[in-house]
Amino acid sequence: MPGRRILITGIASYLGTELARILEADPDVDLVVGLDTREPRARLDRTERIDADIRDPEIARLIPPTGVDTIVHNQIVRRPGPGMSTRRAHDVNVIGSLELLAACERTTTLRTIVVRGSAGIYGAEPAAPQFVTEEMTRLYPLRTRFQRDVAEIENLFGTFARRHPAVACTMLRYQHSIGPTVNTELTQYLSLPVVPTYFGFDPRIQVIHERDALDALVAAVRNPVRGAVNVAGPGTIGLTRMVRLAGRPSLPIPSPLFGNASAIGQRLGLVDFSPDFSRLLRYGRAVDITRLREEVGFYPRHTSGGAVDDYVASRQAAAAA
Amino acid sequence: MSAREQREPAPLGPIIEFLRVLRTRLDGGDGLAASFGGAAMALPRDARESLDTAVRRLGGRYTEDDWGFDEEFAEAVLPFLEFMYDRWWRVHSEGVGRVPAHGRVLLVANHAGIMPWDATMMGVAVMREHPLPRPPRFLVLDWAFELPYVSVLMRKVGGVPASPFNAMRLLEQDELVAVFPEGVKGAGKSFRDRYRVQRFGRGGFVEIALRTGAPIVPVAVVGSEEIHPKIAESRLLARLTGAPYFPITPTFPLLGPLGVVPLPSRWRIEFCEPLDLSSFGPEAAADRAAVLEISDMVRGVIQRKVYENLVKRRRAFG
Repeated sequence: MPGRRILITGIASYLGTELARILEADPDVDLVVGLDTREPRARLDRTERIDADIRDPEIARLIPPTGVDTIVHNQIVRRPGPGMSTRRAHDVNVIGSLELLAACERTTTLRTIVVRGSAGIYGAEPAAPQFVTEEMTRLYPLRTRFQRDVAEIENLFGTFARRHPAVACTMLRYQHSIGPTVNTELTQYLSLPVVPTYFGFDPRIQVIHERDALDALVAAVRNPVRGAVNVAGPGTIGLTRMVRLAGRPSLPIPSPLFGNASAIGQRLGLVDFSPDFSRLLRYGRAVDITRLREEVGFYPRHTSGGAVDDYVASRQAAAAA
Repeated sequence: MSAREQREPAPLGPIIEFLRVLRTRLDGGDGLAASFGGAAMALPRDARESLDTAVRRLGGRYTEDDWGFDEEFAEAVLPFLEFMYDRWWRVHSEGVGRVPAHGRVLLVANHAGIMPWDATMMGVAVMREHPLPRPPRFLVLDWAFELPYVSVLMRKVGGVPASPFNAMRLLEQDELVAVFPEGVKGAGKSFRDRYRVQRFGRGGFVEIALRTGAPIVPVAVVGSEEIHPKIAESRLLARLTGAPYFPITPTFPLLGPLGVVPLPSRWRIEFCEPLDLSSFGPEAAADRAAVLEISDMVRGVIQRKVYENLVKRRRAFG
């Protein structure tokens, strides 16, 4: 029986490179292809790279000849990095997914799609169930641009999955990841010298350790299920406790002023909160991970609290060195 | 009870002693941290412990469960709630022992007032008078979770937003859960309608009990409806504050923040016989007629017990 042939988009990210490294070492995997305009973060031995932009219609010609049976879509921009406009992030997210699906249509060998999506689709709502399950995406309106982007991406892949019953499409909804290596909106927030919070709010936050984030992706590639799956560390951690563990002084700002204050901070180049993250700081969000455990068969090793502990410990060790 | 009464009020002596030692050590050229450490030794043991606790919590070393319930915090506010229970409202509770000591239980009570004082007093009754006490979790009007501090306070003492998903999940984890099916209709009723138990929504609590197999314990609370006698309401202020309704009481908003202080009515809480629904099976949750019938029956039990306790209480105040 021939081994699997896997394509990974966004291979230059931490998760993309690490996933390629794990799959390379797997004897059951015949081929690993990485799609990105940037170099991988580390040297990869037998990963072939397609140097193309995911928004480029050209990929519909480049992907089918690889004969891949699995595509891992790991190029959804959660937060535009420096020098990237929100407009471009939106383009990469939506147009990128659209072009990728156009390529999928032509890849007749395709059997599995795994998308590293976002739990951001649920938003952050004061009265939301304390643990949202996968079918609860329609409880509240989509309030932010990123939420609408994620919903559109999910819709595109959902439509594709309906039209191609032979292809199993897994939509992983990731909570924010945290850990020694990753650089996310959350780790940047916890690295601020003074951490702004909403006055009188202490939301429950849920995170996933970077290692678990990677292993969940590997588990989903090995055992693809159909539909959406929440990915998060079990349990929650209060924002106040998280900030205190990180050893950061907090600056509580009354909610009517928070928007203005963060706009001023942004003008001065001090902070840059997305609207999604601001809402998260006020209301928090936690998801139910029963599907991840029982259907994908993956148990995160770190709880949300444990992941934060590990992040804090590694940062203290780095500061001491 | 008696031990609590004999406990001295926090004396000023140790604080003065603390400041004295602190000053001497600072004058003696010690560092600030060392001086604090030394001065702390002058405090009596329980004060030293609370200082330790405060420092530990400031370092983030405390625990909250998945729901955000903070046991240590809940224990810390218990003396205040007990004061309200014993002295302010002189609560008389009956039948606490009927609440099953283990496993999932759904407490269903009548509700008044926008602040969940009734929920907290039921909690104190269980914590104090049950042979095997456990902190109840209660479903709180969603609006509370949009408010600064109120939202944090609620979740730290065991409140969760009123959603059937939360109730189901808590019961599946074998918790003691309190719900108030009257919802806003109960909280917002005027003083004239006091103790007339409103419609129990669509009977969602019965569906939850049937699905999870949890017994229902009806609870009648008398006294909670006099603490904020609502004589009128303001649509305009409700819209401005985003509140589901804005009550006007003899003291609020006339006396400002002071008007929020609840009136010292006399309370009675009666826990009724548990209703075991397990013989119906979870399929019965889909049976509209059965659900509404059970819901009405529970409402009937609570209404009857409310009237009984009103008679037994005789006077609302004094």
